[in-house]
Amino acid sequence: MGRYVLRRLILAVPVVLGVSVAVFLMASAVPGDPATVLAGDTASAEQVERIRHDLGLDQPLPIQYLHFLDRLAHGSLGESTRTHREVLLEIADRFPYTLALTLGAVTLSTLLGLALGILAALNRGRAGDYLTMGFAIVGLSVPTFLIAILGIIVFSLNLHWLPVAGAFSPASYVLPTVTLSLHSAAVKARITRSSLLEVFGQDYLRTARAKGLRERAVILRHALKNALIPISTIIGLQFGALLGGAYIIENIFGWPGIGRLATQAIFNRDFPLVQGTVLVSAITFVLVNLAVDVLYAWLDPRIRYS
Amino acid sequence: MRALLRLLPTAALVIAACAPQAAPAPSASQVNKVGGSVTFVATTDPDTLDLHQTSNPVSSTIFGWIYEPLVYQDLDNTYKGLLAESWTVSGDSRSITFKLRSGIAFTDGTPFNADAVKFTFERLQRVGAKSPIFETFKNVTAMEAKDATTFVMTLKDPYAPIFHDLQVSYAGILSPTAVKAANDNIGRSAVGTGPYKLKEFQTGQQITLERNAEYKWAPTLFANRGAPYIQQLRYRVIAEPATQLAALDAGEVDYLGLRAQDLAKYSSDTRFKIFDSFTFGLTYLGFDAKRPPFDNAKLRAALAKAVNKDEIVQVVFENKLAKAQCCPIAESIQGYDPRLKDLELKYDPAKAKSELDGLGYKPGADGMRISPDGKAWRPVLYTTTSDTHGKISTLLQAQFKAVGVDVQIKQLESGALLAATPKAEHDLYLNGYSWNEPDMFSLFLSCDRITSSNRVLYCNPQLEDLIKKGRTELDQAKRMQIYFDAQKLTMQEAPWQPLYMPISKTAVNAKIQDLKQGQAGGLYWHDAWVKP
Repeated sequence: MGRYVLRRLILAVPVVLGVSVAVFLMASAVPGDPATVLAGDTASAEQVERIRHDLGLDQPLPIQYLHFLDRLAHGSLGESTRTHREVLLEIADRFPYTLALTLGAVTLSTLLGLALGILAALNRGRAGDYLTMGFAIVGLSVPTFLIAILGIIVFSLNLHWLPVAGAFSPASYVLPTVTLSLHSAAVKARITRSSLLEVFGQDYLRTARAKGLRERAVILRHALKNALIPISTIIGLQFGALLGGAYIIENIFGWPGIGRLATQAIFNRDFPLVQGTVLVSAITFVLVNLAVDVLYAWLDPRIRYS
Repeated sequence: MRALLRLLPTAALVIAACAPQAAPAPSASQVNKVGGSVTFVATTDPDTLDLHQTSNPVSSTIFGWIYEPLVYQDLDNTYKGLLAESWTVSGDSRSITFKLRSGIAFTDGTPFNADAVKFTFERLQRVGAKSPIFETFKNVTAMEAKDATTFVMTLKDPYAPIFHDLQVSYAGILSPTAVKAANDNIGRSAVGTGPYKLKEFQTGQQITLERNAEYKWAPTLFANRGAPYIQQLRYRVIAEPATQLAALDAGEVDYLGLRAQDLAKYSSDTRFKIFDSFTFGLTYLGFDAKRPPFDNAKLRAALAKAVNKDEIVQVVFENKLAKAQCCPIAESIQGYDPRLKDLELKYDPAKAKSELDGLGYKPGADGMRISPDGKAWRPVLYTTTSDTHGKISTLLQAQFKAVGVDVQIKQLESGALLAATPKAEHDLYLNGYSWNEPDMFSLFLSCDRITSSNRVLYCNPQLEDLIKKGRTELDQAKRMQIYFDAQKLTMQEAPWQPLYMPISKTAVNAKIQDLKQGQAGGLYWHDAWVKP
């Protein structure tokens, strides 16, 4: 297993480098010159040229990329063209908020999705099934921003239970986390239901029951553990989607996360910051998927990595 | 919101304007007013608090509380001393000697003096390429701190807008000791002489400013001559307009610029007071005057007459958040002259049609005009992706259609728009400026700026001559006559059709007492206090 993890980590290097090249090329293709945007709408051509030179943007693209790699090799992602702070420092300020939001949403959506999926599967064709699947359809079809705004109106403006925006207290985490988790919970509920229904007909469950195991043990220890493999795949994939999709939530709830940082960096043509945020997201995504692959082996002892 | 944020520093500068006399001891009632906090909204983080490294309006707003410049612009548009007590201009107008106030200290405890002024402006010349006043200081050839309270600035050429450029928040004076202690990295450690000091910068969330208790040089304009009453000012970073409104409703923010559609609700809500402010800016419709066919002034003038400004103000702003303007200098800005109203290219669709006919742009089979060479004519209007600009563009499209001109709209994100205009990709251009000085001509309509901030690529030697005269003429009456002539010429040549001056309406939490409104619209906070 250790060698497998090491091999995956080594293989992640070209993936991350590939991402960096793609982002670098995309950034350079975006219309709008960083120096012009930085200089503002009253700047002279000379000011723009001076800023362009200061930022090294007057050099050929391959040279600019080599400088980026050189900085990377020295443990730096460069300096934000706007704030003049180290990109790593900017990300370090914001990433924990996004990570907390994403981890909270993944945890909540997994718990909620599993509970609803189990409930639906156990009550197949009955009211419980229709109710939970109805929730899933609502969760999938109602746009996240609408849920967010409704949440603010009900819980912040009418009930005064929760703050509208910011990340100043534990209560601030509730609305963004719940909003971000609902869509994901709906997906997991549907997959849990169908996975469970698939394993319910398997011989080993009949054997477990014949051995006299209690129904709870049959469901949780035998059925659910086997049904968890497709769900854990989804968790890995959704983690990445939630990291990226947190932008809308961050924007609505004034959340100081990396999604807003990246988007603002794109509008500001702050390319070192864009590259930095994408790289950190890519590395996180790679690591989470590696963790999911390792989890497979724990869930299903037949899976062995070499 | 941008316009609103631009106004705040102006207000803050006036608040902070100092007086020569020492402040009297606070009375018991004044002491009772100290405390509380006021929370503003910022749509983004201030990118940096280094006032030489940015042109960001949110940063500029915060500079207005922390730093103070040498002079400020009073309600009557004249310049008065803030950190400077007085000044004299040499006979050849190339040298200004400032007598600085004594007894003023930075919030790090070090004294304000001529060395600090020299240090600050030399740093601006060295690292300030991103500053809106960088070009001004290229004209400064020498600076000397003669003694602790005498600072002399020598200019290459006489430069009339110098006092305007010295009063903007970007011209605040830095504490040299603080800059050196921070190894020149002052993006998060601002130290000035202002009524507030930086307490905390929470990236992406909030900037907190703390009352400068040692501040005692407020101008006579205010009843309170000492430190401000309000203990803390906060800038909450909230980008989404719906969330900003919800935060205002929930009491999480106390001050918010309103959109036209929100005015009715907040005007009748007793929890808030509504303040009106003129803005120092103008939104205009420009024509790419360099390229055919809009290099023809007659064609520009004909199309200008198809524009119904009043309809724009009514439909888009419900007659509340904008006022139609006749002239290139908005009525809030020095240099505006109501006599120019007679020269306005007024809305006259019949005349627009006949002039277009006369220029050979005849209607085709579908009623839309074709160019004189028989080809289809579909001028492209470039503008930003802002909701307001989108609505105005759509309205303009309909107004042009009514005279048979099929205008296409292209909305670009502002960075892309800035890059597109110098390449002359556009035919028409909808945008605005925000600059409280008649010298705005040199930024937006001069030949020197044709590859940068002159986004209509208009170059006229006659106007160029007036712009140069306006920059060097220090006699105020003569200078205003120059700008009268420059406006007259611009209105005849029509590279711009002026549309409107934005008006900001702000909802302010009613707990804030004694907040005053100036004639020009800015809000004055130094007497304000928060009712517990």
